[in-house]
Amino acid sequence: MTNSMTEKSLPAKRPLADWLRWNVAKLVVAPTFALIIFFVYGFIAWTGYVSFTKSKMLPTYSFDGIYQYVRLWKMSTWHVAMENLLVFGGLFILIAIVLGCLLAVALDQRVRAEGLLRTVYLYPMAISFIITGTAWKWILNPGLGLEKMFHSWGWESFSFDWLINSDMAIYTLVIAAVWQSSGFVMALFLAALRGVDSEIIKAAYLDGASLSRIYLVIILPTLRPVFLSSFFILAHMAVKSFDLVVALTGGGPGNSSIMPANFMYEMTFRRNQIGLGAASAMMMLATVMAIVIPYLYSELRERKHG
Amino acid sequence: MADIASLPGGNSPWRSAGRFGLYFLLISFGAYYILPLIVVLSTSFKDLDEIRNGTLLSLPAEINLESWRYAWSEACIGVSCTGLKPYFWNSVMMTIPAVLISTVLGALTGYALTKFKFRGANMVFAMILFGCFIPFQVVLLPMAQSLGFLGLANTVPGLVLVHIVYGLPFTVLFFRNYYVSIPDDLIKAATIDGAGFFTIFWRILLPLSPPIIVVTIIWQFTQIWNDFLFGASFTTGGGQPVTVALNNLVNTTTGVKRYNVDMAAALITAAPTLAVYVLAGRYFVRGLTAGSVKG
Amino acid sequence: MATLTIQNVKKSYGAVDVLKGIDLELENGEFLVLLGPSGCGKSTLLNMIAGLDTITDGEILINNKVVNDVHPKDRDIAMVFQSYALYPNMTVERNIGFGLEMRKVTKEDRERRVDEAARMLQIDHLRDRKPAQLSGGQRQRVAMGRALVRKPEIFLFDEPLSNLDAKLRVEMRTEIKKLHQRLGTTMVYVTHDQIEAMTLASRIAILREGEIQQFASPQEVYERPANMYVAGFVGSPAMNFIPATVVSENDRLGVSIERTARGERSSVFLALPDDLQSIGEWIGREVILGIRPETLTHRSDAEMTQNKRLQPFDCQVEVLEPTGADTLTYIELGGREVIARVNPYNTSNPGETMAFMVDMGKASLFDPKSEMRI
Repeated sequence: MTNSMTEKSLPAKRPLADWLRWNVAKLVVAPTFALIIFFVYGFIAWTGYVSFTKSKMLPTYSFDGIYQYVRLWKMSTWHVAMENLLVFGGLFILIAIVLGCLLAVALDQRVRAEGLLRTVYLYPMAISFIITGTAWKWILNPGLGLEKMFHSWGWESFSFDWLINSDMAIYTLVIAAVWQSSGFVMALFLAALRGVDSEIIKAAYLDGASLSRIYLVIILPTLRPVFLSSFFILAHMAVKSFDLVVALTGGGPGNSSIMPANFMYEMTFRRNQIGLGAASAMMMLATVMAIVIPYLYSELRERKHG
Repeated sequence: MADIASLPGGNSPWRSAGRFGLYFLLISFGAYYILPLIVVLSTSFKDLDEIRNGTLLSLPAEINLESWRYAWSEACIGVSCTGLKPYFWNSVMMTIPAVLISTVLGALTGYALTKFKFRGANMVFAMILFGCFIPFQVVLLPMAQSLGFLGLANTVPGLVLVHIVYGLPFTVLFFRNYYVSIPDDLIKAATIDGAGFFTIFWRILLPLSPPIIVVTIIWQFTQIWNDFLFGASFTTGGGQPVTVALNNLVNTTTGVKRYNVDMAAALITAAPTLAVYVLAGRYFVRGLTAGSVKG
Repeated sequence: MATLTIQNVKKSYGAVDVLKGIDLELENGEFLVLLGPSGCGKSTLLNMIAGLDTITDGEILINNKVVNDVHPKDRDIAMVFQSYALYPNMTVERNIGFGLEMRKVTKEDRERRVDEAARMLQIDHLRDRKPAQLSGGQRQRVAMGRALVRKPEIFLFDEPLSNLDAKLRVEMRTEIKKLHQRLGTTMVYVTHDQIEAMTLASRIAILREGEIQQFASPQEVYERPANMYVAGFVGSPAMNFIPATVVSENDRLGVSIERTARGERSSVFLALPDDLQSIGEWIGREVILGIRPETLTHRSDAEMTQNKRLQPFDCQVEVLEPTGADTLTYIELGGREVIARVNPYNTSNPGETMAFMVDMGKASLFDPKSEMRI
C-alpha cells in the first residue's frame, strides 16, 4: 500500500518540469516587466495622484482636485517656461533638421575624407549636455569669449552678450543644442540617402533632370519618414531638456531661459512644492505623449502598409 | 547614390564651382563642430594670464597640465576640495554594473519576447517600450521617496538601480528588434535537437549577438555616464556622479574663476564617452539610430 | 520506424480555423507528402507533429501513443527546415552532432555517428566549415545530416528543396528518395510542388484551406482525383476541364460537347466506357469532363481498333507549343481552351482541322456544382 503510494507520487515531478518548460519565457520576462510596472506605471500613477493634492514638503494624500493645475497655470514662471519651450523647441528642431539634411546631402556627393567629416559632425552627440553647456558658456562668455576674440581682430564695436541678456539667453541654448544634435540628424538622413534606390536616380538622370532637381523633386520627398522621425525625436529631446539649461544659463538671467523640466526640478527639490512639481511633471508627460502617440501611430501604420 | 556625379555629361565649369562650394560648406561646418573642442582643449592648457591676455583661438605657449592635475585632485566642489577624482570613480562604479545588468536583463527579455512568444508577449513589449518615451520628471518624486525608503538615497547602488530600471526599455528594444530578425527555424531546430530555453540562448543566440551587445553597451554607457538629472535629484555631496560634480565645480563661485580648470574638468568628464566614440564610432551611430528611429 | 496517426486534429488562431479536422494514418516506413498551396495549413500540421505548435483539438499518436503534450525532444523525431536552420556559429560537424550532444551521447559515440552520417551524405570533407562557407546544396546536405545522425523514428521535411535551383532540386529529390529506400524510416514531407509529391510519396495528402481533399497513393491521386481541385493541382500541364452533357446515343451512354467551328455550332459525342455506364441518372444533366492532356492525342486507327475506349473527333488547331518530346496543341472544346499532347511529327498547322482521339477510360467526370468526382 505505501509502496504504491510513493510510486504514484513520483510522476508528480513531471508536471512541474513540464510547467517550467512551457512557462520559462514568462518567468524570464517577469522581473523586467515587474520593474517596469512598478517604476514606470506605478510611479506615474503616484505622481499623477500627488498632483491632485496639496503636498508641499512631504506628500499628503488627501485629494484636492485640480488646485495645483490652476495654480500652475497662473504662475508667470510656468508661462515663461512653456513659451521658452516653444521658442527653443521650434528653432532647435527647424535648424537641426535643415542643417542635418543639408550636411547629409553634401556628404553624399562622393566627397574626400567623408569618414573624418562624419566623425567630426557627430562627436558632440557622445558627450553630456553638461559638458556642452560648460564649453559654450566659456565660448559665449561676454568678457573673454567670442566678443574678445573679435575685438582683438580689430572689430571693436562687436558685442555679443546673449548669455547675460534676458531677451537673448534662450537663443544661446539653441546654438548649443543644435551643435550637439544636428550631426545626429545628419546621420539619420545620410543612412536614408544611402538607401535610396539608385535605379530611380539613373532613370531621372536619363530623363535629363539636373542633380539639384533630382534631389529636390525625387529624393527628398522619399525621405519624408526621416523628416518625421527627426522631428519627433528632436521634439522629444526639447521637452526633456534640463541639463543644458542648468549648465549653460542656469535658467537665467532671472528666469528668462527656464524650461519646464527646470521648473519642475526647482519646485520639487528646492522650493518644497511637491504637489506643484508633480502637476508640472504631468503637464510634461502630456506634452511628450501629444508628440509620441501620433509618431508611434504613423510608424505602426506605415509598418502595416509596408 | 552619388554615382551620378561621375556620369558622362556632368563636367562643366559649373561643376567645378559646385565642388568648391560643396567643400567650403563641409569644411566651415566642420569648423563649427570641432572648434569648441579645440577651444576647450587649448584653454585647459593655458594659465590664467594667458587666458586673460589671449583670445579663444590663441594657442597655449606650452602644454601646461597644471589645471588638469588641479581639476582631478584639488578643485573645490561645493565645500570639499577633492577634485573630480572621487566623483569620477562614483560614475565608474555606477555605470559599469548598471550597464552590465541592464544589458543582460534586456537580452534575456528580448529573447523570451521574440523566440518563446507567449500570449500577450506583444502587449508586454509595448508596455515596456512605453518607458522609452516618458519624461523622467514624472518619476523623480516617487523615486526619491522609494530610494529613501530602501535606504539607498544618496548612494551609488541607488543610482545603479535607477539606471537599470530606466535603461531596460532601451535594452529590451534593442535586443528584441535584433532577435526578431533571427529566423525562428533555428530555435525550432534546436528544440527538436533537445536544447532548452537557456541552452538555446547560451549556445545559439548569444554567439550571434556580439553586434547588438556592443551597440547596447555603448548606448547604455553613454546614457548613464552622461546622465545629470538622476544624479542631481538623488545625490548630494560625496555621492554625486561626475557630471553633477562638474556642474558644481564650474558654478562654485568662491575665489578666482579658473576657466582653465573648468575646461580641464569638462574634458576629464567627457573623456570616457569620447574614447568610446573614437574607438567604436560605427557601433555608436548604429545605437543612436536603433534607439531613436524605432524608439 | 514508427506509425503515425492523426485523429480529427484541429487548429485555430482565435476565430480563424487553420486546420478543420485532419485524419491521417501512416504505416511503418511510409512516405507521406502533405501537398497544397501556401496557407493551406500543411506546415502547421507538420509543426504540430513535431511538437512545435499546440493542438487545438484532436490527437496525434506516434506508435499508438498520444504525444499531444510530449515535448519535441522526447518525440524522437527529426526535422529538415526550408531555411535549413543551421546554427551559424557552429561548424558542420558540431551542427550535425548538436542533437546528440544535447542527448548526452558520449564524445566517441558522437564522432562515430557524425562521421557515418557525413560520409553517407558526402559532406565529410566539409566538417570544419561554418554554414556561411557552404553552397545551398551543401547546406541542404548538412541539414539532412543533422536529422539523419539521430536515427529518429520519424523524419519531418518542411519544403526542404524550395530554396535550391532547379537542377539541384532534382538531384536532392533523388537523394531523399534513396535515403528513404535505404533507411525505411517513416517520413512526412511538406511541399507545394506536385512533382516532388508524385516522385517521393507512398501516399499524398492534398490539403486546401485546412481540409484534406484526398489521401491516396500518387497514382490514385493522378488517375482518380477526388475532386476538381485535386485534378487541377496535380499534373502539368493541368487537366482539361470541359463542360459537357450526359446523353444516350444508340443505346450507349456518352457525353456531348458543344462547340463552335468556323461560326457553326455543332456537337461532339464521346462514348463512355462500360464501367462508367452506371451514371444513367445523370442523363440530360451537365457534367465537367476532365481529360489529361496526354490522353488526348492525334488519331491512330491501329490503336483505335485495339482499344475500344479511344474515341475519335476532329477539331481545328489554334496554337502549337513544341516542348521537344511532345507538342502541346491548343484546341477549343465546349468553349474552353483544351490542350492535347501530340507527337511532334503528327501535328497539323494552326487553322487546319486535325483528327484527334481521346482515351475515355482515363477520363474523369465531375459534378459541376459540388466539383466532386462522379
